[in-house]
Amino acid sequence: MRTDATAEFFDELASRRHEPLLRKVTGSARFDVVAGERTERWWVTIDKGEIRVSRGNGAADSVLRASKASFDRVAAGELNLMAAVLRGEVAIEGDPRLLVRLQRLFPRPGEQAQQRAAGSAGREE
Amino acid sequence: MSDGLVRILDGNTFVVSDARGDIEASPTDPTGLFSFDTRFLSRWVLTVNGERLNPLSVDDLQYFETRFFLVPGTGTVYVDAKLSVIRQRTVGNGFQEELTILNHLDEPVELSVRVDTGCDFADLFEVKDALEKKGKYSERVEGDKLVLAYDRETFGRSTAISASTPAQIDKHGLTFKIRIGPHDKWSTRLDVVTERLGVGQARDAIDDPNRSQVRMRANLQHWIDEAPRLECDWEPLKATYRRSLVDLAALRFSPPIAGGHSLPAAGLPWFMTMFGRDSILTSLQALPFTPELAATTLRALGDWQGVGLDDFRDEDPGRILHEMRYGELTAFEERPHSPYYGSADATPLYVVLLDEYERWTGDRALVRELEAEARAALNWIDEYADLQGTGYIWYKRRNEQTGLENQCWKDSWDSISFRDGRLPGFPRATCELQGYAYDAKLRGARLARLVWEDTTLAGRLEQEAADLKRRFNRDFWVEDRQYYALALDPDGNQVDALASNNGHLLWSGIVEKSKANAVARHLLGPRLFSGWGVRTLAEGQGRYNPIGYHVGTVWPFDNSFIAWGLRRYGFKEDAAVIAAGILDAAQFFDGRLPEAFGGYERPQTMYPVQYPTACSPQAWSTGAPLLLLRTMLGLEPYEEHLVVEPALPIAIGHLELLDIPGRWGRIDAFGRGRVEVDRS
Repeated sequence: MRTDATAEFFDELASRRHEPLLRKVTGSARFDVVAGERTERWWVTIDKGEIRVSRGNGAADSVLRASKASFDRVAAGELNLMAAVLRGEVAIEGDPRLLVRLQRLFPRPGEQAQQRAAGSAGREE
Repeated sequence: MSDGLVRILDGNTFVVSDARGDIEASPTDPTGLFSFDTRFLSRWVLTVNGERLNPLSVDDLQYFETRFFLVPGTGTVYVDAKLSVIRQRTVGNGFQEELTILNHLDEPVELSVRVDTGCDFADLFEVKDALEKKGKYSERVEGDKLVLAYDRETFGRSTAISASTPAQIDKHGLTFKIRIGPHDKWSTRLDVVTERLGVGQARDAIDDPNRSQVRMRANLQHWIDEAPRLECDWEPLKATYRRSLVDLAALRFSPPIAGGHSLPAAGLPWFMTMFGRDSILTSLQALPFTPELAATTLRALGDWQGVGLDDFRDEDPGRILHEMRYGELTAFEERPHSPYYGSADATPLYVVLLDEYERWTGDRALVRELEAEARAALNWIDEYADLQGTGYIWYKRRNEQTGLENQCWKDSWDSISFRDGRLPGFPRATCELQGYAYDAKLRGARLARLVWEDTTLAGRLEQEAADLKRRFNRDFWVEDRQYYALALDPDGNQVDALASNNGHLLWSGIVEKSKANAVARHLLGPRLFSGWGVRTLAEGQGRYNPIGYHVGTVWPFDNSFIAWGLRRYGFKEDAAVIAAGILDAAQFFDGRLPEAFGGYERPQTMYPVQYPTACSPQAWSTGAPLLLLRTMLGLEPYEEHLVVEPALPIAIGHLELLDIPGRWGRIDAFGRGRVEVDRS
């Protein structure tokens, strides 16, 4: 049983630094992960694929909000982000185009985020 | 409309009602207000003093706007018109209905006007398959609004109904107690607004900005003005052309991710969504007329290109999506359409469209922008689609519950068969997929040389294409019957039915010159050609059925690509014969070609018999007359020029297509009908 899939996901995302799947993306997204009374915030900025992740409450082009339980499942590849948005489990405000870019970052069922990163490298010519 | 239903739409929001403007949907019937694959209104019934109304006429003002003229009372021999009722309905974010009642008497009237409402919030998939709902319904009156809602866990959809004049609102509708003076009128505006709410009441990502009617009108006019103008001696062709342009405008769909640009959705009523195959093929058909559709299609499909392996969605890295859906079943992952990737042709066709787009428009910036997507698509062909390791595209679904068995355009269960009717096992390698792969490699090579400056890739792709062509002509050619097999079965045996797919092979260029004439003679021969068009499956094959969905009907879109293929190999008279047949058929449908019609011999029925549940309008049928025009005029970009080499049926007479957009700016094409066509 994993301890904190959400934290692991963002740690791993930060370690990628450059993500070819986002090479055309410049913008920022904030993930508000709600655990009871507390809201954890991750702030992700992307500059042509260069990724920086920090904790905090910065303004963002797109804000995704979900419960910790839901986000853990998305981060672990157990819940598809688009389906989660369609059913209101993940709310998104701001630029919806960022959603389609961001969904590329999450592992597919049975995949680890690590594999995703390794696999995506092949897309960079 | 042949079924008596009236349809208006805007993007993926549409209303289907009866000729009175009323909606009384049963669970399995596609009437109602639909948006993002959900029904937001299943009951909308107007009565005056408790009486239903009687339709006098319906005016389709625009594809997004209709006017119903009604009088009270039903079924009497004469209409006692003391009152007239006019409902003018416009689709936007939901719909608006301007309700007007005219009093024709010399005295005032007191009326009770009632609109009954209700909603089942069915997912389109449920309407197709009649499934049970799992959530809870509620109705509530909030001030001057009636709100109908459906909730299942975090999933919420609601419909808000309000009026511009005072009404008594209850949970099942609105009542207006009104008095109209002699020869006076009363009117109100009813607003029906759809809401899709996510966590914390934030509007979710699938929201579509409300498009104003004025903008929609201006937009349609602009769309028609921008397209080439057609002048022609044969009036029906002008009507068909105009119908195609308007329907194509109606079928445009702006996915929330496309930044306000639009691409063709597949068809009404079931398929108002982004489809890889349909959006690509329609964009190809429309390239000489509205090239911007192709640009949006390429960008939007590129954004959603597969990046990982997901068995439920049949997703692979580089794969282009098959279908996107927004309804409840997709939201709860009871269906895989978020999006679903189970299509074996959309990925090579993506590269084909990118190249053809560049040839017409010269827009190399887009080719550069989508370089990684195109490379990933080319990589998918060899890396993920060759399930048998034999150098062909094969398909076999990994989602065995809700995935698609046949991942080619003929996607019904019995579409791929042997001549004797047996069905092959999986995986299957249908022939046209190999043609598309061949074409994608050659076109990818051209783009690699021209834009990406990667001669190594270009050389490799050309080598692979040549090798594929050689193997294909050996493995798929049915020597004793002189046509290409429909598919290979898992053991590499030829699935030897004679089918229209041979025409797509001509289009792709994979056919060896020495075999082309035999293929053309089959396509125009009595077993495949009905007189209206080429049948999906030849008469005499085990599963042939003139009204079988993919096993005998004639598909206008299929024929438009077959005609293009015939032209490519120099059979321009044969291409004209097919164009004449399909365009003749269009006249029987007021210029709006259905998805498919019966494969009966033309002299047998004298008119084309519409396939029972065919979609209409349907994007690639709408695109068929456009591609046929291109084919008949012999329009072909050659470097910075447009080559025009007409081969028109005599009946068309003189034809001009003016202001064809492209890398040359705008250019005119002229032709005169000279090809004899037997039209009996």
